Amino acid sequence: MVQAGSKKSPISKINSKAGISSLIIFVVLLLAWIAGFASRLFAVIRFESIIHEFDPWFNYRATAYMVKHGFYNFLNWFDERAWYPLGRIVGGTVYPGLMLTSGSIHYILHLLHINVHIRDICVFLAPVFSGLTAISTYFLTKELWSAGAGLFAACFIAIVPGYISRSVAGSYDNEGIAIFALQFTYFLWIKSVKTGSVFWAVAASLSYFYMVSAWGGYVFIINLIPLHVFVLLLMGRYSNRLFTSYTTFYILGLIFSMQIPLVGFQPIRTSEHMAAAGVFALMFAVGILRYLQNMMTKSEFKSLVIFGGLASAGVVFLAVVILTYAGYVAPWSGRFYSLWDTGYAKIHIPIIASVSEHQPTTWFSFFFDLHVLVATFPAGLWYVIKNINDERVFVVLYALSAVYFAGVMVRLMLTLTPVVCILSGIAFSGLLELFLREDDVYHNEDSEEEEHSTPSKRLYDKLPKEAKSKLKSGKSVGNVKTPTPQVVGRVQKMKHEQSKESDGIGPNIRSVVTVVILLLLMLFAVHCTWVTSNAYSSPSIVLASYGSDGSRQILDDFREAYFWLSQNTDDDARVMSCFSNSCCIRVGLRLSNSRNGRNRTTLVDNNTWNNSHIALVGKAMSSNETAAYEIMTALDVDYVLVIFGGVIGYSGDDINKFLWMVRIAEGEHPKDIRESDYFTEHGEFRVDSEGSPTLLNCLMYKLSYYRFGELKLDYRTPAGFDRTRNAVIGNKDFQLTYLEEAYTTEHWLVRVYRVKKPDEFNRPRIPVANRVVKSPSFVSKKSTKRKKGFHKE
Amino acid sequence: MRRGICLLICLTYVTALERINNQLVNKNVERSIDLTSQLVKISSAITLENTGKDSVRSFLVALEPNAVDISYINVKDSLKDDLKILPAKVDGAKDGVFYNIMLKQPVDAGRSTTVILEVVLTKRLEPYPSSITQKDKQLVRYFGNHYFYSPYVTTKQKTEVLLSSRSVENYTKLKPVAQSDSTITYGPYTNIQPFTVDEMMVHFENNSPFLTVTRLERIIEISHWGNIAIEEHIEIRHTGAQLKGPFSRYDYQRDTGSTHHSIKAYRTILPASAHSIYYRDSNGNISTSTVRPRKEWIELELRPRFPLFGGWKSSYVLGYSVPSYQYLFKKPSGEYVLTMRLIDHVFDDMFVEELETSIILPVGVSSVKIDTPYEVERLPDEVTYKYLDNLGRSVIKLRKTDLVEQHIQDFEITYDWKPQLLLHEPLSCLLEE
Repeated sequence: MVQAGSKKSPISKINSKAGISSLIIFVVLLLAWIAGFASRLFAVIRFESIIHEFDPWFNYRATAYMVKHGFYNFLNWFDERAWYPLGRIVGGTVYPGLMLTSGSIHYILHLLHINVHIRDICVFLAPVFSGLTAISTYFLTKELWSAGAGLFAACFIAIVPGYISRSVAGSYDNEGIAIFALQFTYFLWIKSVKTGSVFWAVAASLSYFYMVSAWGGYVFIINLIPLHVFVLLLMGRYSNRLFTSYTTFYILGLIFSMQIPLVGFQPIRTSEHMAAAGVFALMFAVGILRYLQNMMTKSEFKSLVIFGGLASAGVVFLAVVILTYAGYVAPWSGRFYSLWDTGYAKIHIPIIASVSEHQPTTWFSFFFDLHVLVATFPAGLWYVIKNINDERVFVVLYALSAVYFAGVMVRLMLTLTPVVCILSGIAFSGLLELFLREDDVYHNEDSEEEEHSTPSKRLYDKLPKEAKSKLKSGKSVGNVKTPTPQVVGRVQKMKHEQSKESDGIGPNIRSVVTVVILLLLMLFAVHCTWVTSNAYSSPSIVLASYGSDGSRQILDDFREAYFWLSQNTDDDARVMSCFSNSCCIRVGLRLSNSRNGRNRTTLVDNNTWNNSHIALVGKAMSSNETAAYEIMTALDVDYVLVIFGGVIGYSGDDINKFLWMVRIAEGEHPKDIRESDYFTEHGEFRVDSEGSPTLLNCLMYKLSYYRFGELKLDYRTPAGFDRTRNAVIGNKDFQLTYLEEAYTTEHWLVRVYRVKKPDEFNRPRIPVANRVVKSPSFVSKKSTKRKKGFHKE
Repeated sequence: MRRGICLLICLTYVTALERINNQLVNKNVERSIDLTSQLVKISSAITLENTGKDSVRSFLVALEPNAVDISYINVKDSLKDDLKILPAKVDGAKDGVFYNIMLKQPVDAGRSTTVILEVVLTKRLEPYPSSITQKDKQLVRYFGNHYFYSPYVTTKQKTEVLLSSRSVENYTKLKPVAQSDSTITYGPYTNIQPFTVDEMMVHFENNSPFLTVTRLERIIEISHWGNIAIEEHIEIRHTGAQLKGPFSRYDYQRDTGSTHHSIKAYRTILPASAHSIYYRDSNGNISTSTVRPRKEWIELELRPRFPLFGGWKSSYVLGYSVPSYQYLFKKPSGEYVLTMRLIDHVFDDMFVEELETSIILPVGVSSVKIDTPYEVERLPDEVTYKYLDNLGRSVIKLRKTDLVEQHIQDFEITYDWKPQLLLHEPLSCLLEE
């Protein structure tokens, strides 16, 4: 392809240069897409084309329902089996963008008679969209800086682990398409700010509409864009272009966003959206002032600004406060507070804090997810601040806010990743521009040759190759097109540019720096592949373990249990299980069987808003069997399901998450459940004989360890040795009165118990006359072992 | 086609009433009742004697009035050739099921001939007790007839009952009777009048898998590019004694004995040329299966996701492809003939309650003729759309209930088809793009 481009060159010099650069851009973006797609396929190749975790399972199920029954039926779908006994109006409680996207892909493919199963569309949706994200990142960065930086950014985002973590094949979640929508909206917004055209603003609001339909993270956009506008106003960069684009965007975006059933009237009734409205009003105020400025004298105008500004700010603030108190505007939600105060959730809403992805981010994970980009992105930020203009203000604000949020919550790492990629792209591009500046045609040809002499390697080490091509493209594009930002940029700081020109850099330094940069990029690619392969590509419903000889064993216990439940329990059976996010795969799987028309009612799944209900389940799990039985009867439970990892050493099991359950239960029922009861005197959480008696007799403990005390895992360990917690369990010989084991999977990972009906455990009443007294030769069956260690209620 | 006409003839024959020829006598009957599996397989070697004056071309076979669950019947002569069997109504006879058997060689007066009658009955082994705990052994009862049920006088007969284990709880003792190992021998009895019934009961331990395929959907998709894809949607249920009380994984893991009433795994036999085999269910791939290629076939060891206990059920999809040159032929007249099994092996001694076979023909076939080895119900044809297919393909659907291993036989579909249509899909693909 490169050859084809170079052959053209004799015809016309200008054409060939433009042709080559656009060809390079095309090839690099294509390769970024392919690399991004391919590196997300580890899980599919190692396991199978399967949906990974709970949320994706739910989304998949909803999509399958929509494909089968049509969109309107989907919106009206009332799923009486989820969140028993409340039921769930699915159409009104999900962001439908994801389902609509894959549903329409499915529809189009089927129109062409390409009969792809909806499951496969769902599995491969996120990898495909990662390519689109790369392209929109390219465009965004191109608008902000240059095409070369755009190519860098596109390649980075295609393989950066921070984004891959949410978009591997099989993770069919909102984030997969939302990041694309996010980047694309920002691109369109920047475009509209630059041009001031209504067309781009409308396009931005349409893209925003798609984002709203796809992910709750749209709030980020609707706060960041007003923030951008606000800061521009503060900087005195008001312009008619800004006015046009923001007002168009805000009004259309507002109306569009209210079309999504889940969002509804929130954009005008909740505090999260008030900033946008405030900036909207401010925009008009500034506009009016500007207009008045033309008609008044300077002193008149000054006093008007001060008075008018203060008065209007006061009025707006008062209005918001009053509306909030009057209940027209909802105050900030708990999740929102937890963004400002990391300790808030732990105290007030343990259910949110219990989700591991809502924990504050560690430094380790910054490096793990972004690698070298962590170091280079401040450099990019510096470049941008140095050469500030309207749209670069935006990326600065984006970077600062995203860094803050990513620090608060692991999950929001996702919103940081794109901006890090953009700024790192700018940094690398800036560096290379500096160091390759005087390297003209000679070097260019050199690397080109290198490129097509090793085309076969491309598949294996993706980034270095791309990096090289980017190198060239960044350069050649830079040569051909005079950097676009300068053309339209408002306030140009040419000083820096000029001083750069005069820098004389020796060829040695130049080559050393280039090599170092290339090495860094190569390391980055290696790291990305490694992280993707090891950390983010395991479907959590299938576990794999490796034997000492390297053979792989698949532990398919989750699916075993759910398939058992779907096949061998009544259609209206109700299953109680724990709630926390990652272990709710179980529910998803069970629900997935609805295709056969035989799904089970779930008592608690990912339902993080129905706190009291969860607390009741938590209470049942934390109480002793008798008390739990009462709760279970009240909840009308047929089966109880626990995850137990003691046999295979799976650490994400219910006992390890049990304390969260206790905390949630304590929050609602402080009289019955006290967290301190579950610790030993020394404040430890132990399951061995030292453990607290309350713990050793609670339902969760009993269900997890029922008959485990008899099991000898291998010859070196005593019977009842828990591999997850490395301890011999404390309460070994006990019987269950109110429940019976219904099913336990091969590796004991999932245990299902059936709740007995009253007549099954109550012995039938025998009339006094018929009672027979046992023979007096009664021998106590208690052995010395059994005599010790029973807690009395 | 041949069979189709035969079916029509059957219908006409049914209306004609047969008479019992009193001149025929069962000189000797050696019956063996095989109860080792979940099926009841009765095979009787009958020596028929013609004591009359006319030669006889056909004779009657009768089954007990309660033998409604007959799945398969076959009669062979001494040369092991299948004889033609026609359902019959008998004039003045008691209720019961009769079949008229056409002999190849007429039996002249005073001569005798030997035929072998093979009958497979389903659902005749009743678990008793009907629900057991995990540790118990599975006991079943069989109710039958001590005597060979026949419209003719039986001079001498002997019955062997083959059981799956030595432990027999109880059995009726109509003398002479003897038990050795896992075999009970009844008889010889002499001079039994026609239609004599004397209830035989055997109560014994049978831990062989009581696995019923409640529904099997077999989809055969023909591609003239050289491949035939077969997909089977199978629903199975353990129809032995119900599991009472809890299922304990601990006990199950400790109990390593091979004779257990639960079903851990079973073997499916596929054609030797099968490739691209997959085994999955609605939750995705089932990782517990092994493929072992043998010389003549491919053996597939399937483990359901969970062991099946009495009353538990499961379902899965098994699919594979075979090259079409082994099954699809072109006649000199230009017609294409597909010869395939109507039902294939699922597990040994299988019992399929309901079978639905769909054959997806290539695009644009015409004058389809179908020829089945036994009577099947033909459901209305359907049209389906496969990859890049805008004309639609016709689907032939066949249905039959109560099938056993003996029903694994070939059917034939003949159709006209133009080879140019092979290019239809690539062309339409080009056009669409």
